[in-house]
Amino acid sequence: MKALAALLLGVAALPAAAQGYAERYATLCAACHGVTGRSTMALAPSLGGQPSFYTITQLFLFKNERRKNAAMVALAQNMNDTDLRGFSDVIAKLPPPTPPASPASAPDAERFARGKASAQRHQCLACHGSDGAGGQQVARIAHQREDYLLESLQGFKAGTRIGYTQAMNEAVAAVRPDELADIAHYLAYLQ
Amino acid sequence: MKTASAKHLLALLLALAGTAAVAQQPAEEPFWAKGRPKSDTAMKMAPVPAFPIPTPAEQLPVAKMKLPPGFKAEVWASGLLDARGLRQGDRGTVFVSSLFVAGKIYAVVDKGDRREVKTIAEKLFLPNGIEFVKGSLYVATPKDITRYDNIETSLDKPPAPVMVYDKLPGEVPHGWKFIKLGPDGKLYVPIGAPCNSCEPGDGFAKIIKMNLDGSGVETVASGVRNTVGFDFDPKTGDLWFTNNGRDWLSEDLPNDTLNHVTQPGKQHFGYPYCHQGDFADPEFGWGKSCADYAQPAQLMGPHAGVLGMRFYTGKMFPAQYQNAIFVARHGPSRTTNTSVARSTCW
Repeated sequence: MKALAALLLGVAALPAAAQGYAERYATLCAACHGVTGRSTMALAPSLGGQPSFYTITQLFLFKNERRKNAAMVALAQNMNDTDLRGFSDVIAKLPPPTPPASPASAPDAERFARGKASAQRHQCLACHGSDGAGGQQVARIAHQREDYLLESLQGFKAGTRIGYTQAMNEAVAAVRPDELADIAHYLAYLQ
Repeated sequence: MKTASAKHLLALLLALAGTAAVAQQPAEEPFWAKGRPKSDTAMKMAPVPAFPIPTPAEQLPVAKMKLPPGFKAEVWASGLLDARGLRQGDRGTVFVSSLFVAGKIYAVVDKGDRREVKTIAEKLFLPNGIEFVKGSLYVATPKDITRYDNIETSLDKPPAPVMVYDKLPGEVPHGWKFIKLGPDGKLYVPIGAPCNSCEPGDGFAKIIKMNLDGSGVETVASGVRNTVGFDFDPKTGDLWFTNNGRDWLSEDLPNDTLNHVTQPGKQHFGYPYCHQGDFADPEFGWGKSCADYAQPAQLMGPHAGVLGMRFYTGKMFPAQYQNAIFVARHGPSRTTNTSVARSTCW
Protein backbone atom coordinates (compact mmCIF):
# COMPACT_ATOMS: atom_id res chain seq x y z
CA MET A 1 0.00 0.00 0.00
CA LYS A 2 2.89 2.30 0.84
CA ALA A 3 4.48 1.49 -2.49
CA LEU A 4 1.28 2.24 -4.33
CA ALA A 5 0.88 5.53 -2.51
CA ALA A 6 4.46 6.43 -3.36
CA LEU A 7 3.81 5.66 -7.02
CA LEU A 8 0.66 7.78 -7.05
CA LEU A 9 2.53 10.68 -5.47
CA GLY A 10 5.19 10.20 -8.10
CA VAL A 11 2.53 10.25 -10.82
CA ALA A 12 1.12 13.52 -9.56
CA ALA A 13 4.51 15.20 -9.94
CA LEU A 14 5.06 14.23 -13.60
CA PRO A 15 4.26 16.39 -16.65
CA ALA A 16 1.00 15.50 -18.36
CA ALA A 17 2.36 13.29 -21.14
CA ALA A 18 4.56 11.30 -18.79
CA GLN A 19 1.70 11.01 -16.33
CA GLY A 20 -0.14 9.13 -19.04
CA TYR A 21 2.62 6.56 -19.32
CA ALA A 22 3.05 6.22 -15.58
CA GLU A 23 -0.62 5.32 -15.34
CA ARG A 24 -0.33 3.00 -18.31
CA TYR A 25 2.67 1.31 -16.68
CA ALA A 26 0.59 0.76 -13.55
CA THR A 27 -2.22 -0.76 -15.62
CA LEU A 28 -0.26 -2.72 -18.19
CA CYS A 29 3.10 -3.63 -16.70
CA ALA A 30 3.02 -3.50 -12.92
CA ALA A 31 1.13 -6.75 -12.44
CA CYS A 32 4.19 -8.70 -13.62
CA HIS A 33 7.06 -6.25 -13.26
CA GLY A 34 6.07 -4.68 -9.95
CA VAL A 35 4.38 -1.41 -9.06
CA THR A 36 7.66 0.21 -7.93
CA GLY A 37 9.79 -1.37 -10.62
CA ARG A 38 10.94 -4.22 -8.42
CA SER A 39 9.48 -7.52 -9.54
CA THR A 40 8.25 -10.16 -7.14
CA MET A 41 7.15 -12.47 -9.95
CA ALA A 42 9.38 -15.38 -10.87
CA LEU A 43 11.38 -14.77 -14.06
CA ALA A 44 9.78 -11.38 -14.68
CA PRO A 45 12.60 -8.85 -14.54
CA SER A 46 12.66 -5.79 -12.31
CA LEU A 47 12.52 -2.77 -14.58
CA GLY A 48 13.33 0.05 -12.17
CA GLY A 49 16.16 2.27 -13.33
CA GLN A 50 16.69 0.54 -16.64
CA PRO A 51 18.32 3.01 -19.07
CA SER A 52 15.62 4.16 -21.47
CA PHE A 53 17.72 3.38 -24.58
CA TYR A 54 18.02 -0.22 -23.35
CA THR A 55 14.30 -0.55 -22.67
CA ILE A 56 13.48 0.86 -26.11
CA THR A 57 15.74 -1.72 -27.78
CA GLN A 58 14.02 -4.58 -25.94
CA LEU A 59 10.51 -3.33 -26.76
CA PHE A 60 11.72 -2.98 -30.38
CA LEU A 61 12.98 -6.58 -30.37
CA PHE A 62 9.70 -7.84 -28.90
CA LYS A 63 7.70 -5.78 -31.38
CA ASN A 64 9.62 -7.32 -34.29
CA GLU A 65 9.42 -10.76 -32.66
CA ARG A 66 13.20 -11.02 -32.75
CA ARG A 67 13.13 -11.61 -29.00
CA LYS A 68 10.74 -14.38 -28.05
CA ASN A 69 8.18 -14.06 -25.27
CA ALA A 70 4.52 -14.47 -26.19
CA ALA A 71 3.17 -12.02 -23.62
CA MET A 72 5.74 -9.30 -24.34
CA VAL A 73 5.46 -9.73 -28.10
CA ALA A 74 1.70 -9.29 -27.92
CA LEU A 75 2.04 -6.15 -25.78
CA ALA A 76 4.83 -4.62 -27.85
CA GLN A 77 3.04 -5.17 -31.14
CA ASN A 78 0.32 -2.87 -29.88
CA MET A 79 2.84 -0.12 -29.19
CA ASN A 80 3.86 2.66 -31.55
CA ASP A 81 7.15 4.59 -31.48
CA THR A 82 5.72 7.16 -29.07
CA ASP A 83 4.72 4.36 -26.68
CA LEU A 84 8.24 2.93 -26.80
CA ARG A 85 9.67 6.27 -25.75
CA GLY A 86 6.92 6.95 -23.21
CA PHE A 87 7.16 3.65 -21.37
CA SER A 88 10.97 3.69 -21.44
CA ASP A 89 11.16 7.17 -19.98
CA VAL A 90 8.81 6.26 -17.13
CA ILE A 91 10.61 2.98 -16.45
CA ALA A 92 13.97 4.72 -16.30
CA LYS A 93 12.64 6.93 -13.52
CA LEU A 94 11.32 4.05 -11.39
CA PRO A 95 13.59 3.39 -8.40
CA PRO A 96 16.27 0.79 -9.11
CA PRO A 97 15.68 -2.51 -7.31
CA THR A 98 17.63 -3.24 -4.14
CA PRO A 99 18.69 -6.65 -2.85
CA PRO A 100 16.16 -8.38 -0.63
CA ALA A 101 16.40 -6.85 2.84
CA SER A 102 15.59 -9.82 5.02
CA PRO A 103 18.51 -11.81 6.51
CA ALA A 104 17.07 -14.99 5.02
CA SER A 105 17.92 -13.65 1.59
CA ALA A 106 21.51 -12.73 2.30
CA PRO A 107 23.99 -13.93 -0.32
CA ASP A 108 25.80 -17.22 -0.03
CA ALA A 109 29.32 -16.01 0.71
CA GLU A 110 31.08 -18.72 -1.31
CA ARG A 111 28.87 -18.39 -4.36
CA PHE A 112 29.14 -14.60 -4.18
CA ALA A 113 32.94 -14.79 -4.10
CA ARG A 114 33.07 -17.25 -7.01
CA GLY A 115 30.63 -15.17 -8.99
CA LYS A 116 32.62 -12.02 -8.31
CA ALA A 117 35.82 -13.69 -9.50
CA SER A 118 34.10 -14.89 -12.67
CA ALA A 119 32.60 -11.47 -13.36
CA GLN A 120 36.01 -9.86 -12.97
CA ARG A 121 37.61 -12.39 -15.28
CA HIS A 122 34.97 -11.80 -17.95
CA GLN A 123 34.89 -8.03 -17.41
CA CYS A 124 31.11 -7.81 -17.05
CA LEU A 125 31.28 -4.49 -15.24
CA ALA A 126 33.49 -2.96 -17.93
CA CYS A 127 30.32 -2.45 -19.97
CA HIS A 128 27.67 -2.64 -17.21
CA GLY A 129 29.50 -0.17 -14.97
CA SER A 130 31.24 -0.69 -11.65
CA ASP A 131 27.85 -0.25 -9.96
CA GLY A 132 26.10 -2.51 -12.48
CA ALA A 133 23.79 0.34 -13.46
CA GLY A 134 24.48 0.14 -17.18
CA GLY A 135 23.73 3.10 -19.43
CA GLN A 136 22.78 3.85 -23.06
CA GLN A 137 21.98 0.49 -24.63
CA VAL A 138 23.61 -1.49 -21.80
CA ALA A 139 21.21 -2.95 -19.23
CA ARG A 140 21.20 -2.30 -15.50
CA ILE A 141 22.00 -5.69 -13.99
CA ALA A 142 22.74 -4.86 -10.33
CA HIS A 143 20.14 -6.36 -7.98
CA GLN A 144 18.14 -7.81 -10.83
CA ARG A 145 16.14 -10.95 -10.00
CA GLU A 146 18.62 -13.80 -9.78
CA ASP A 147 16.35 -16.22 -11.68
CA TYR A 148 15.98 -13.75 -14.55
CA LEU A 149 19.73 -13.04 -14.65
CA LEU A 150 20.49 -16.75 -14.87
CA GLU A 151 17.87 -17.34 -17.53
CA SER A 152 19.26 -14.43 -19.54
CA LEU A 153 22.87 -15.58 -19.26
CA GLN A 154 21.93 -19.12 -20.24
CA GLY A 155 19.89 -17.82 -23.14
CA PHE A 156 22.71 -15.61 -24.45
CA LYS A 157 25.07 -18.55 -24.23
CA ALA A 158 22.71 -20.90 -26.03
CA GLY A 159 21.76 -18.32 -28.64
CA THR A 160 18.08 -18.53 -27.71
CA ARG A 161 18.17 -15.04 -26.20
CA ILE A 162 18.73 -12.31 -28.75
CA GLY A 163 20.33 -8.98 -27.91
CA TYR A 164 19.94 -5.74 -29.85
CA THR A 165 23.58 -6.27 -30.79
CA GLN A 166 25.83 -9.30 -30.74
CA ALA A 167 27.59 -8.04 -27.63
CA MET A 168 26.09 -10.37 -25.00
CA ASN A 169 26.17 -13.48 -27.18
CA GLU A 170 29.86 -12.90 -27.73
CA ALA A 171 30.56 -11.87 -24.11
CA VAL A 172 28.96 -15.00 -22.64
CA ALA A 173 30.49 -17.33 -25.23
CA ALA A 174 33.70 -17.35 -23.20
CA VAL A 175 31.97 -18.06 -19.87
CA ARG A 176 31.83 -21.69 -18.67
CA PRO A 177 28.31 -23.01 -18.10
CA ASP A 178 29.05 -23.75 -14.43
CA GLU A 179 30.03 -20.12 -13.85
CA LEU A 180 26.68 -18.68 -14.89
CA ALA A 181 24.71 -19.39 -11.71
CA ASP A 182 27.38 -17.87 -9.47
CA ILE A 183 27.62 -14.77 -11.66
CA ALA A 184 23.85 -14.35 -11.44
CA HIS A 185 24.05 -14.72 -7.66
CA TYR A 186 26.86 -12.14 -7.42
CA LEU A 187 24.99 -9.59 -9.55
CA ALA A 188 21.76 -10.06 -7.59
CA TYR A 189 23.60 -9.00 -4.41
CA LEU A 190 26.19 -6.66 -5.94
CA GLN A 191 27.71 -4.10 -3.59
CA MET B 1 46.61 -13.33 -37.22
CA LYS B 2 42.99 -13.36 -36.20
CA THR B 3 40.17 -12.90 -38.64
CA ALA B 4 36.48 -12.89 -37.86
CA SER B 5 35.27 -16.33 -38.73
CA ALA B 6 32.20 -17.69 -40.44
CA LYS B 7 30.93 -18.41 -36.93
CA HIS B 8 30.41 -14.68 -36.34
CA LEU B 9 28.46 -14.50 -39.59
CA LEU B 10 26.34 -17.47 -38.61
CA ALA B 11 25.65 -16.10 -35.15
CA LEU B 12 24.64 -12.74 -36.55
CA LEU B 13 22.40 -14.33 -39.20
CA LEU B 14 20.65 -16.49 -36.62
CA ALA B 15 20.39 -13.62 -34.19
CA LEU B 16 18.67 -11.53 -36.82
CA ALA B 17 16.38 -14.41 -37.75
CA GLY B 18 15.58 -14.95 -34.08
CA THR B 19 15.99 -18.72 -34.29
CA ALA B 20 17.16 -21.12 -31.61
CA ALA B 21 20.58 -22.72 -31.33
CA VAL B 22 23.81 -21.13 -32.49
CA ALA B 23 27.13 -22.91 -32.96
CA GLN B 24 29.35 -22.81 -29.89
CA GLN B 25 31.63 -19.81 -30.19
CA PRO B 26 35.34 -19.78 -29.48
CA ALA B 27 36.43 -17.48 -26.65
CA GLU B 28 37.06 -14.41 -28.84
CA GLU B 29 36.43 -10.72 -28.52
CA PRO B 30 33.89 -9.19 -30.87
CA PHE B 31 35.51 -8.10 -34.15
CA TRP B 32 35.26 -4.39 -33.38
CA ALA B 33 37.19 -4.90 -30.12
CA LYS B 34 40.14 -6.83 -31.46
CA GLY B 35 43.27 -4.86 -30.77
CA ARG B 36 41.55 -2.57 -28.30
CA PRO B 37 44.01 -1.59 -25.56
CA LYS B 38 43.33 -3.05 -22.13
CA SER B 39 43.35 0.30 -20.30
CA ASP B 40 40.22 1.23 -18.32
CA THR B 41 39.28 4.06 -20.68
CA ALA B 42 39.72 2.00 -23.80
CA MET B 43 37.92 -1.03 -22.39
CA LYS B 44 34.79 1.06 -21.79
CA MET B 45 34.59 1.96 -25.47
CA ALA B 46 31.96 -0.12 -27.19
CA PRO B 47 29.94 0.78 -30.25
CA VAL B 48 26.70 2.61 -29.47
CA PRO B 49 24.22 0.93 -31.77
CA ALA B 50 21.82 2.77 -34.04
CA PHE B 51 18.67 3.88 -32.22
CA PRO B 52 15.62 1.78 -33.12
CA ILE B 53 13.26 4.73 -33.52
CA PRO B 54 13.55 7.45 -36.18
CA THR B 55 13.82 10.98 -34.76
CA PRO B 56 10.55 12.85 -35.24
CA ALA B 57 10.86 15.59 -37.88
CA GLU B 58 10.42 18.45 -35.42
CA GLN B 59 13.31 17.15 -33.31
CA LEU B 60 15.86 16.91 -36.13
CA PRO B 61 18.67 19.38 -35.35
CA VAL B 62 18.50 21.19 -38.70
CA ALA B 63 19.00 24.59 -37.07
CA LYS B 64 22.35 23.43 -35.67
CA MET B 65 23.80 22.61 -39.07
CA LYS B 66 26.55 25.04 -40.07
CA LEU B 67 26.30 26.02 -43.71
CA PRO B 68 28.13 28.43 -46.01
CA PRO B 69 26.31 31.71 -46.75
CA GLY B 70 23.44 31.29 -49.18
CA PHE B 71 22.88 27.60 -48.35
CA LYS B 72 19.81 26.32 -46.54
CA ALA B 73 19.03 22.90 -45.05
CA GLU B 74 15.56 21.52 -44.51
CA VAL B 75 13.98 18.15 -43.80
CA TRP B 76 12.97 16.43 -47.02
CA ALA B 77 11.69 13.17 -45.55
CA SER B 78 11.64 11.77 -42.04
CA GLY B 79 10.62 8.61 -40.23
CA LEU B 80 12.93 6.31 -42.17
CA LEU B 81 14.43 4.03 -39.56
CA ASP B 82 18.15 3.42 -40.05
CA ALA B 83 18.39 5.29 -43.38
CA ARG B 84 21.84 5.01 -44.98
CA GLY B 85 22.41 4.99 -48.76
CA LEU B 86 20.50 7.08 -51.31
CA ARG B 87 19.93 6.61 -55.03
CA GLN B 88 17.42 8.25 -57.34
CA GLY B 89 15.51 6.46 -60.09
CA ASP B 90 14.77 7.83 -63.54
CA ARG B 91 11.24 8.81 -62.45
CA GLY B 92 12.52 10.62 -59.38
CA THR B 93 11.89 7.91 -56.79
CA VAL B 94 14.48 8.13 -54.02
CA PHE B 95 15.63 4.70 -52.86
CA VAL B 96 17.03 4.46 -49.34
CA SER B 97 19.03 1.58 -47.92
CA SER B 98 19.57 0.64 -44.27
CA LEU B 99 22.28 -1.17 -42.40
CA PHE B 100 22.31 -2.40 -38.80
CA VAL B 101 18.77 -2.06 -37.49
CA ALA B 102 16.03 -2.02 -40.09
CA GLY B 103 17.08 -4.57 -42.72
CA LYS B 104 14.88 -2.66 -45.18
CA ILE B 105 15.01 -0.86 -48.50
CA TYR B 106 12.67 2.13 -48.73
CA ALA B 107 11.31 4.02 -51.72
CA VAL B 108 10.36 7.66 -51.21
CA VAL B 109 7.94 9.26 -53.65
CA ASP B 110 7.77 13.05 -53.76
CA LYS B 111 4.14 14.17 -53.74
CA GLY B 112 5.02 17.86 -53.82
CA ASP B 113 3.84 18.95 -50.42
CA ARG B 114 4.86 15.74 -48.72
CA ARG B 115 6.86 12.59 -49.17
CA GLU B 116 5.36 9.07 -49.27
CA VAL B 117 7.59 6.34 -47.87
CA LYS B 118 7.18 2.73 -48.96
CA THR B 119 9.12 -0.34 -47.86
CA ILE B 120 10.02 -2.38 -50.93
CA ALA B 121 12.15 -5.04 -49.23
CA GLU B 122 12.68 -6.16 -45.66
CA LYS B 123 14.41 -8.69 -43.42
CA LEU B 124 17.56 -8.21 -45.47
CA PHE B 125 21.09 -8.76 -44.10
CA LEU B 126 23.01 -5.46 -43.79
CA PRO B 127 21.64 -4.16 -47.10
CA ASN B 128 23.63 -0.92 -47.26
CA GLY B 129 24.60 -1.00 -50.95
CA ILE B 130 22.09 0.16 -53.57
CA GLU B 131 22.39 1.39 -57.15
CA PHE B 132 19.81 2.25 -59.80
CA VAL B 133 20.57 1.19 -63.37
CA LYS B 134 18.18 1.19 -66.33
CA GLY B 135 15.00 0.80 -64.34
CA SER B 136 16.38 -1.77 -61.90
CA LEU B 137 17.46 -1.38 -58.29
CA TYR B 138 20.55 -3.37 -57.35
CA VAL B 139 20.91 -4.30 -53.66
CA ALA B 140 24.24 -5.45 -52.24
CA THR B 141 24.78 -7.20 -48.90
CA PRO B 142 27.98 -8.77 -47.53
CA LYS B 143 26.93 -12.00 -49.24
CA ASP B 144 25.36 -11.15 -52.60
CA ILE B 145 23.99 -8.67 -55.10
CA THR B 146 20.38 -8.91 -56.25
CA ARG B 147 18.25 -6.86 -58.62
CA TYR B 148 14.63 -5.61 -58.54
CA ASP B 149 13.45 -4.96 -62.11
CA ASN B 150 11.02 -2.25 -63.25
CA ILE B 151 11.01 -1.16 -59.65
CA GLU B 152 9.68 2.38 -60.09
CA THR B 153 6.45 1.12 -61.65
CA SER B 154 5.97 -1.61 -59.06
CA LEU B 155 6.70 0.12 -55.75
CA ASP B 156 3.49 -1.19 -54.18
CA LYS B 157 4.08 -4.73 -55.35
CA PRO B 158 7.83 -5.14 -55.86
CA PRO B 159 9.02 -8.09 -57.92
CA ALA B 160 10.99 -10.95 -56.44
CA PRO B 161 14.68 -10.10 -56.58
CA VAL B 162 16.89 -11.65 -59.25
CA MET B 163 20.30 -12.97 -58.14
CA VAL B 164 23.14 -11.12 -59.84
CA TYR B 165 26.22 -12.27 -57.92
CA ASP B 166 26.35 -14.64 -54.94
CA LYS B 167 30.06 -15.17 -54.47
CA LEU B 168 30.85 -12.34 -52.07
CA PRO B 169 32.64 -13.66 -48.97
CA GLY B 170 29.86 -12.70 -46.54
CA GLU B 171 32.15 -11.62 -43.70
CA VAL B 172 30.47 -9.15 -41.36
CA PRO B 173 33.41 -6.84 -40.47
CA HIS B 174 33.62 -4.28 -43.28
CA GLY B 175 31.46 -6.60 -45.33
CA TRP B 176 28.54 -4.22 -45.87
CA LYS B 177 28.59 -2.60 -49.26
CA PHE B 178 28.50 0.63 -51.21
CA ILE B 179 28.02 0.01 -54.94
CA LYS B 180 28.16 2.35 -57.93
CA LEU B 181 27.89 2.07 -61.70
CA GLY B 182 31.07 3.20 -63.43
CA PRO B 183 31.32 5.15 -66.69
CA ASP B 184 32.39 1.84 -68.26
CA GLY B 185 28.97 0.37 -67.52
CA LYS B 186 30.33 -1.97 -64.84
CA LEU B 187 29.22 -2.29 -61.22
CA TYR B 188 31.93 -1.34 -58.73
CA VAL B 189 31.86 -3.28 -55.44
CA PRO B 190 34.25 -3.17 -52.44
CA ILE B 191 35.21 -6.13 -50.27
CA GLY B 192 36.53 -4.78 -46.99
CA ALA B 193 39.14 -6.34 -44.74
CA PRO B 194 37.46 -8.94 -42.45
CA CYS B 195 39.26 -7.53 -39.43
CA ASN B 196 40.75 -4.35 -38.01
CA SER B 197 44.35 -5.14 -38.87
CA CYS B 198 45.42 -8.42 -40.50
CA GLU B 199 46.79 -9.95 -43.67
CA PRO B 200 43.57 -9.86 -45.64
CA GLY B 201 44.36 -12.46 -48.29
CA ASP B 202 43.59 -12.12 -52.00
CA GLY B 203 39.85 -11.97 -51.61
CA PHE B 204 39.66 -8.96 -49.30
CA ALA B 205 40.62 -5.31 -48.84
CA LYS B 206 39.96 -4.39 -52.46
CA ILE B 207 37.55 -2.81 -54.91
CA ILE B 208 36.31 -5.02 -57.75
CA LYS B 209 34.12 -4.36 -60.75
CA MET B 210 31.83 -6.69 -62.69
CA ASN B 211 29.41 -6.71 -65.58
CA LEU B 212 25.80 -6.08 -64.65
CA ASP B 213 25.09 -9.80 -64.96
CA GLY B 214 27.78 -10.62 -62.38
CA SER B 215 30.34 -11.88 -64.87
CA GLY B 216 33.84 -10.63 -65.61
CA VAL B 217 35.00 -9.75 -62.11
CA GLU B 218 38.24 -7.71 -62.08
CA THR B 219 40.22 -6.07 -59.30
CA VAL B 220 40.32 -2.28 -59.57
CA ALA B 221 42.36 -1.42 -56.45
CA SER B 222 44.00 -3.40 -53.64
CA GLY B 223 45.10 -2.56 -50.14
CA VAL B 224 41.80 -0.83 -49.40
CA ARG B 225 40.75 -1.56 -45.82
CA ASN B 226 37.14 -0.39 -45.89
CA THR B 227 35.56 1.93 -48.42
CA VAL B 228 31.89 2.80 -48.09
CA GLY B 229 31.84 5.66 -50.56
CA PHE B 230 33.18 6.28 -54.05
CA ASP B 231 32.35 8.12 -57.25
CA PHE B 232 33.78 8.84 -60.71
CA ASP B 233 35.27 12.17 -61.76
CA PRO B 234 32.88 13.51 -64.41
CA LYS B 235 35.81 14.96 -66.37
CA THR B 236 38.21 12.02 -66.40
CA GLY B 237 36.08 9.02 -65.43
CA ASP B 238 38.64 8.21 -62.71
CA LEU B 239 37.47 6.43 -59.57
CA TRP B 240 37.86 8.31 -56.29
CA PHE B 241 37.11 6.57 -52.98
CA THR B 242 37.11 7.25 -49.25
CA ASN B 243 38.77 4.78 -46.90
CA ASN B 244 38.42 4.07 -43.19
CA GLY B 245 41.83 3.54 -41.59
CA ARG B 246 42.67 1.02 -38.89
CA ASP B 247 41.79 1.42 -35.23
CA TRP B 248 43.30 0.94 -31.78
CA LEU B 249 46.76 2.21 -32.62
CA SER B 250 46.37 5.80 -31.48
CA GLU B 251 43.59 8.33 -31.17
CA ASP B 252 45.38 10.55 -33.73
CA LEU B 253 46.68 8.09 -36.32
CA PRO B 254 46.15 6.91 -38.94
CA ASN B 255 43.88 9.29 -40.82
CA ASP B 256 40.95 8.19 -42.85
CA THR B 257 41.69 9.08 -46.45
CA LEU B 258 40.31 10.23 -49.80
CA ASN B 259 42.01 8.38 -52.65
CA HIS B 260 42.31 8.62 -56.44
CA VAL B 261 42.71 5.59 -58.69
CA THR B 262 44.94 6.66 -61.56
CA GLN B 263 45.90 3.17 -62.76
CA PRO B 264 42.93 0.81 -62.42
CA GLY B 265 43.93 -2.74 -61.57
CA LYS B 266 47.51 -1.82 -60.76
CA GLN B 267 47.55 0.16 -57.54
CA HIS B 268 47.87 -0.99 -53.93
CA PHE B 269 46.77 1.56 -51.38
CA GLY B 270 48.86 0.24 -48.50
CA TYR B 271 46.65 -1.76 -46.12
CA PRO B 272 47.73 -3.50 -43.91
CA TYR B 273 51.37 -2.50 -44.35
CA CYS B 274 51.26 1.27 -44.72
CA HIS B 275 48.55 3.69 -43.62
CA GLN B 276 47.73 7.12 -45.02
CA GLY B 277 50.69 6.88 -47.38
CA ASP B 278 53.42 7.46 -44.86
CA PHE B 279 52.80 5.50 -41.68
CA ALA B 280 54.24 1.99 -41.51
CA ASP B 281 52.08 -0.42 -39.52
CA PRO B 282 53.88 -1.58 -36.33
CA GLU B 283 52.94 -5.22 -36.95
CA PHE B 284 52.85 -5.55 -40.74
CA GLY B 285 55.07 -2.71 -41.93
CA TRP B 286 58.48 -4.30 -41.40
CA GLY B 287 60.29 -4.89 -44.65
CA LYS B 288 57.83 -2.77 -46.62
CA SER B 289 58.28 0.76 -47.91
CA CYS B 290 55.43 3.25 -47.83
CA ALA B 291 56.83 4.75 -51.02
CA ASP B 292 55.79 1.57 -52.82
CA TYR B 293 52.11 2.24 -52.23
CA ALA B 294 49.61 4.65 -53.75
CA GLN B 295 49.52 7.89 -51.78
CA PRO B 296 46.20 9.32 -50.58
CA ALA B 297 44.84 12.43 -52.25
CA GLN B 298 43.69 13.89 -48.95
CA LEU B 299 43.85 13.08 -45.23
CA MET B 300 40.38 13.16 -43.72
CA GLY B 301 41.00 13.06 -39.97
CA PRO B 302 41.64 10.07 -37.68
CA HIS B 303 38.61 7.91 -36.87
CA ALA B 304 36.46 10.34 -38.85
CA GLY B 305 34.26 7.60 -40.31
CA VAL B 306 34.41 8.78 -43.93
CA LEU B 307 31.43 7.34 -45.74
CA GLY B 308 29.56 8.47 -48.84
CA MET B 309 31.21 10.71 -51.35
CA ARG B 310 30.01 12.25 -54.57
CA PHE B 311 31.12 14.64 -57.30
CA TYR B 312 28.67 17.54 -57.50
CA THR B 313 27.19 17.79 -60.98
CA GLY B 314 24.02 19.71 -60.17
CA LYS B 315 23.11 23.23 -61.21
CA MET B 316 21.87 24.72 -57.98
CA PHE B 317 25.16 25.46 -56.20
CA PRO B 318 27.61 28.21 -57.21
CA ALA B 319 30.15 27.56 -59.98
CA GLN B 320 33.01 26.75 -57.58
CA TYR B 321 31.08 23.64 -56.47
CA GLN B 322 30.91 22.17 -59.99
CA ASN B 323 32.76 18.83 -59.99
CA ALA B 324 33.75 19.35 -56.37
CA ILE B 325 33.68 16.28 -54.08
CA PHE B 326 31.29 16.12 -51.16
CA VAL B 327 32.31 13.66 -48.41
CA ALA B 328 30.18 12.62 -45.46
CA ARG B 329 32.10 12.03 -42.26
CA HIS B 330 30.04 9.96 -39.89
CA GLY B 331 31.89 10.89 -36.74
CA PRO B 332 34.45 9.55 -34.35
CA SER B 333 34.77 5.93 -33.42
CA ARG B 334 37.39 4.07 -31.37
CA THR B 335 38.51 7.36 -29.90
CA THR B 336 37.59 9.53 -26.96
CA ASN B 337 37.51 12.60 -29.25
CA THR B 338 33.93 13.78 -29.64
CA SER B 339 34.14 16.15 -32.62
CA VAL B 340 30.86 16.52 -34.45
CA ALA B 341 30.12 14.61 -37.64
CA ARG B 342 29.96 16.83 -40.68
CA SER B 343 30.01 16.95 -44.44
CA THR B 344 33.02 18.49 -46.11
CA CYS B 345 33.58 19.61 -49.64
CA TRP B 346 36.71 19.50 -51.77
